[in-house]
Amino acid sequence: MTSSTILLVEDDPSLRVLTARALQENGYTVRPASTAPEMWIIFNAEPVDLILLDIMLPGTSGIELCRQVRQKSDVPIIFISAKGSETDRVIGLEIGADDYLPKPFSTRELMARVRAVLRRGGMERQSDVSRRNEASFDGWTVNFPRRELTSPTGAIIDLTGAEFDLLSSFVHNAQRVIARERLIELSRTRLGDASDRSIDVLVSRLRRKLQGAGKEAPITTVRGVGYMFNAEVSRS
Amino acid sequence: MIHLVRPSLGLVGRILIILLLTVTVEFCTSTLLYERASQFSLREDEAHRLAEHLVITRKLIAERPPRERPAMASLLTTDRYDVRWGESLPDPPRMAPELHEMRDQIVSWEPSLADSEMRLQLKSPGLNSMVVGGMTLPDGSWITFGTRDVESGWDLAIGRVILALVPAMALLVIGSLLISNTLKPIRMLAQAAERYGYGDRIILPEVGSGEVLRVVKAFNAMQDRIQRLIQDRTQALAAVGHDLRTPISRLRLRIDMVGDCAARDAMQRDAIEMETMIASLLAFLGGDENDQPRVRSDIAVMAATVVDDATDHGHDVRYEGPEHFDAFVRLYDLKRALDNLVTNALRHARTVTVSLIPMDERVILRVVDDGPGIPEADLEAAKQPFVRLDTARERNTEGLGLGLAIVERIVGAHAGQLRLTNRPEGGLQADIEIPVKGAQKLA
Repeated sequence: MTSSTILLVEDDPSLRVLTARALQENGYTVRPASTAPEMWIIFNAEPVDLILLDIMLPGTSGIELCRQVRQKSDVPIIFISAKGSETDRVIGLEIGADDYLPKPFSTRELMARVRAVLRRGGMERQSDVSRRNEASFDGWTVNFPRRELTSPTGAIIDLTGAEFDLLSSFVHNAQRVIARERLIELSRTRLGDASDRSIDVLVSRLRRKLQGAGKEAPITTVRGVGYMFNAEVSRS
Repeated sequence: MIHLVRPSLGLVGRILIILLLTVTVEFCTSTLLYERASQFSLREDEAHRLAEHLVITRKLIAERPPRERPAMASLLTTDRYDVRWGESLPDPPRMAPELHEMRDQIVSWEPSLADSEMRLQLKSPGLNSMVVGGMTLPDGSWITFGTRDVESGWDLAIGRVILALVPAMALLVIGSLLISNTLKPIRMLAQAAERYGYGDRIILPEVGSGEVLRVVKAFNAMQDRIQRLIQDRTQALAAVGHDLRTPISRLRLRIDMVGDCAARDAMQRDAIEMETMIASLLAFLGGDENDQPRVRSDIAVMAATVVDDATDHGHDVRYEGPEHFDAFVRLYDLKRALDNLVTNALRHARTVTVSLIPMDERVILRVVDDGPGIPEADLEAAKQPFVRLDTARERNTEGLGLGLAIVERIVGAHAGQLRLTNRPEGGLQADIEIPVKGAQKLA
């Protein structure tokens, strides 16, 4: 297996070196850049599998850069920002970043995100599902880029990251039986908040949050196999 | 100690009282003067008429033979004067000294009455005073007379008083309206000052009269200065906070390269603590979150998610309450507030219960723990920023002591209240109570 190439855009020299080293030690090929022009030189010269982008760059901002990259390519992007704000996260994800990594981060967190995004990028291209869309079922609306779920009454339903990932998997595989093992695999794509909780606990929590007005959540247990999401999903 | 609170009259009240006093004094004085003058002329008038009547009476009665005199007297009795005739008076009325003047006047107008030994007296049957008197005829018999209608004079006086009172009252009403209108900017100023500091600044319209206008302008300018000062400080601190995150990032990546496992973990914990401090400082300063709009959010699910997250980190936290509860809130702010309360509780207690209690137009998010609680005296201080209570009990003081201050700020921005109480059965109870007008329960 050839190692993935990661384009790292970070203006702080020491942090760039340290991040690059951490990535290299974990088997990735790293192409460091400190400014937008440098990034474009590398981006146009060779194929990259992932871009790690600091949101606060001198000159062109990371957000603007992300928008420009998105016009040309579908390459996965992870935002790095010192602003831990919800708004920043949402803006980043809305303009097409795949994930968001707040500063400061540890090597473990960095690796988890990188691995998850690389894996997810591969899978979702296979399943031919656009992540930058909304989907709705039974009056509920899922906004994938904002990672937001809206109830039939129009209220925002706050889910944990793992719960949202599980819901995404269900929505993308509606009316198909999904094996537990597959769900575990899918829900582990965001390792940042992974723990030993079982998939069944996650499912029961999601059910509880999705039921309302006397209506059961559209998740049925298929004994011995896994689960099925039996609702009509429409995309917009 | 008992404080007797004296009810304050307010500026309008005071000015009104001053106005009332002035008007009353003015009214009394003028009425008194006017009444005296009019009474005087009334009396003169009266004397004139009395004199004329008496002359005629005396003449007519004297012309008649004594037999016809009583009939004549009753004929001469009019609405105003009561006239009687008598051969002699058993007790002729004495002269009242205060009516000397009146008699002299009468005599000076009608000199023919000079030899009539006229006597005048004031009688006050009940409230009405009347002049009674007597005089002799040339043959020594007596005519007694009395005025009848002094009472109507008094009615007239009361009418005049009331008539004069009407414009005075109107003046008072108009005056109070004008004063109240003049003081309107002051009232607005007070309201603005009361609200200032809890949210956006309030620019007052620069209207009003001289002094008031100056105060309003000064207040607006002061707000601007305070705002700028706070902004500058906040920006500086937030910038430092953001900038610190890059070196801490470097530090954390470097720590990962340390070979000694124990040392590495310890250093990693320190770095995380620094990070937590920065995060809470930025949260307190509002430097991290831009103004989120209030959106319809399911706060019951939010509470459940906070509980689930804590459970996933190995804590014993439960949620009790409805499955769904919609409210218009700043969801992520409120989540941070609840999260802070739960984190706080878990620092001192083993089991924590989060409950959502829907009430009439309000909702309570309650966090109850089984820890030692907070000494009663420190309950209020606990909400202050940079306050960490009971350092002896708290072995590792995490953060900057901003947790509850952040909660209070967020709850305040929702027009709500944060209440801390020690439960009688032990443990602390923290209530976030916010108004939820127009909220809709689902489950």
